Amino acid sequence: MHRSIGFYLRIYGKILVQDIKSKMSYRSDFIISTIGMICTNIAGFVSFWILFQNFPSVDGWSYYEMLFLYGFSLVSLTPVQCLFDNNWSLRIYVYSGDFIKYCFRPINLFFYYQSEIFDIKGLGQLAFGIGTIVYAWAKLGLPVTVLMILKMIVFLITASLIMIALQNAAAATCFWIQNSFYVLDLVFRFKDYAKYPITIFSPVFRFIFTFLMPIAFIAYYPSLVILRPDEIPLLSWLSPVIGLVFFFLSYKFWMYGAMKYSGTGS
Amino acid sequence: MSSIQIKNLTKQFKVLNRHEGLKGSIQDLFSRDYKTVTAVDNISMTVEQGEIVGYLGPNGAGKSTTIKMMTGVLEPTSGEIIVGDVVPYRNRTKLAQEIGVVFGQRSQLWWALPLIESFRILKDIYRISDENYNAMMDFYRTQVDIEPLLHKPVRQMSLGQRTLSDILAAFLHDPKIVFLDEPTIGLDVSMKAKIRTLIHALNQEKNTTVILTTHDMGDVDALCRRIVIIDKGKMLYDNDIAHLKGFFGSYRTLKVRMDGDLQAHAEEIRKEVDFSVSADEEWISILVDEEKEKVLDVLGRLQHTHNIRDMQLEEISTEEIIKKIYEEGVE
Amino acid sequence: MNLKKYLTLTRAGIIESLQFRLSAFIMVIGNMLYLIVVYFLWKAIYASVGNEPINGMSFYDTLIYLVLATALSGFMEMYTVWEMGRNIQSGKIVLDLLRPMEYRKYLFWSYSGSFVTQFFFTFLPTFIVVAVLTHGAIPLGINLLYFVISVVMAVSINYSIDFIVGTICIYTESIWGINIMKQVVVMLLSGATVPLAFFPETLRKVVSCLPFQSIYNAPLTLLLNGDPDPAYVLQTLGIQLLWVVVMLLAGKLFWRVSLRRITVNGG
Repeated sequence: MHRSIGFYLRIYGKILVQDIKSKMSYRSDFIISTIGMICTNIAGFVSFWILFQNFPSVDGWSYYEMLFLYGFSLVSLTPVQCLFDNNWSLRIYVYSGDFIKYCFRPINLFFYYQSEIFDIKGLGQLAFGIGTIVYAWAKLGLPVTVLMILKMIVFLITASLIMIALQNAAAATCFWIQNSFYVLDLVFRFKDYAKYPITIFSPVFRFIFTFLMPIAFIAYYPSLVILRPDEIPLLSWLSPVIGLVFFFLSYKFWMYGAMKYSGTGS
Repeated sequence: MSSIQIKNLTKQFKVLNRHEGLKGSIQDLFSRDYKTVTAVDNISMTVEQGEIVGYLGPNGAGKSTTIKMMTGVLEPTSGEIIVGDVVPYRNRTKLAQEIGVVFGQRSQLWWALPLIESFRILKDIYRISDENYNAMMDFYRTQVDIEPLLHKPVRQMSLGQRTLSDILAAFLHDPKIVFLDEPTIGLDVSMKAKIRTLIHALNQEKNTTVILTTHDMGDVDALCRRIVIIDKGKMLYDNDIAHLKGFFGSYRTLKVRMDGDLQAHAEEIRKEVDFSVSADEEWISILVDEEKEKVLDVLGRLQHTHNIRDMQLEEISTEEIIKKIYEEGVE
Repeated sequence: MNLKKYLTLTRAGIIESLQFRLSAFIMVIGNMLYLIVVYFLWKAIYASVGNEPINGMSFYDTLIYLVLATALSGFMEMYTVWEMGRNIQSGKIVLDLLRPMEYRKYLFWSYSGSFVTQFFFTFLPTFIVVAVLTHGAIPLGINLLYFVISVVMAVSINYSIDFIVGTICIYTESIWGINIMKQVVVMLLSGATVPLAFFPETLRKVVSCLPFQSIYNAPLTLLLNGDPDPAYVLQTLGIQLLWVVVMLLAGKLFWRVSLRRITVNGG
């Protein structure tokens, strides 16, 4: 049965509001976790800052350009943190057999499963990332036009799909193998490497990080559209498409695993 | 109108023959070494709208596989299946609108949310109109003391309260068919009674078809007129309980009490009579088929060998019938 | 029939070891990737300043320092905060308190077995890989002895900090939040993510007054210095010893004060 996007958004909104309400009722936990998340971001920034106290530039990338990349990666990694956190619990539901309980609703299974958890802590990262981008943008003297901002938003959203896709695929391995936590954890660690310009790597690893584990699409390629408008490689323009394609494939893979699983698990 | 129609339904699984060791597990990734397991073997049945059917069988009999095929989660290997008016696995989402599912120990409600909020989300998901929603809630209020539950997060509820809530949630969108999988498992006696009354009332009021799988014969006695029994994927029985009891009409349960270790006594009696013997803390039960030997003759024989202090005579219980069918089948 | 029982156990053992091997394998891949990224990043950084040593550290020094810091952090992570937090919340802590052993000791020694596996499976391989990769840039002399002594004290300080943070869980239910804060502060201020030598002067002065630098910076600088000045070695180890004693006492005191809360509230 066809359900419109509006229908799904309304349901998501409702679950979100309730979820936040119930989290607020554990106030001290909520506050401490949020402070912890902010600390993580500040610490990440401080180590970045310390590093560049010693070096004026890296491989032709200035401090503010690197800062831009850093902010870009923070923002594009926010959706996976906020919206798809339930992927971390997937293997537990699958082993215990509790996953079957998601299969009987008249709505999309993937949506229904992911909608259950919204990790509000990620919003701190979003704010921090946006702040970093704005600061770097101003310092770099980049023009502020509607087109630029539009580009920025489109490229941020599509870039965020890459990490979501990687995480979906990694989480879905639990439908086949037992140690999926390590796979998920490994993929999760990739995100730390997304903030560096791919040009620092040797050609072999450039290839790997572009086509095999496409983390270069989380920040590097999409950022070029804004940072180096004179020499944008084809891959940068393709990055929105690549984001969409990867997301779609990971969704299909996830659903395939879910269907296969519910068909066999007792 | 019939609510479920199943004809020659069969489900086979291909199971990989697993190899051990690191090399073995790599082999398994590419292996085509399968064996076929038949979980459901040529089952046919028709369920009318409004019936409560007890779907029974030992663990691993194929009950949950059948339920999964009826709910559209699983595609049959062969045979026909129509639930409501759709083929389940082809229209899973459409069917989901027409059915409700409850698992005794797996709550489908939002863990952190108060029950009322779960209901409101379900109202949106199933697109229940305000009118129908309010009518249903009003009906619930007449049946159970729901107010104290409504504002309690599900995770703070007892198992009984949670099961109750799950059943209410499953009936909320007025489904045509509800599947209840061991709804009373792990509950105390009074909660079991409460839940049976609720299920009965909902079935009566809404004419909902209920498919009930359970190991608790109390559920069956309280709710089902018809039972279906399967074992090893094959259907063993499909008819009224009354009919089944008539079938075993010549059986009586003779219960005797004596001093000493009842288990040891039961062991001795087992050698002396030709019937199944069991013992609990108080009684030794002997299931006597009067066509073979009269109860009084059995009792007379036992009196010579044992010091019987007390005795009772009972009709065969549903529990014993089911046990007998599991053990011997219906001839 | 008895044989079957044992075969089941054997089977479980095989599956378990298989799982262990798979997870170890994936962990090695993860560490290799980290190594690669760190290698290229710092290579690019050093290339941009003409491959000169910065703040007394050459490219190889920095590489060795960071990679071994990661290997050491595998050593240091004993999940103490998680363990304590969970036990406190579930009330299981009461059972642990009944043991004829001080809780902090019990917790430490019940985890200590994995020091051995961590050493052989993570630290030693990493050490060898880095030594080969940097063409023997790790000096092999008396500094190794200092390093080992320093690491032992670092483990003690780190455990004391963990224990103190774990004790905080008696007062709050937020294990995740507390743990992430601790992790972030320790990793940054101990010089595990960026060597302290790179810190700006004022920040370095502040950090050198805190216990954290004794966890990573102290042992790793001792290791990298092949021909150390005895006064420097003595000073570093002395400061570490001081922190070992101070943190130990602080942890004990805090625990004793906080324990009253458990006994009053009944866990």
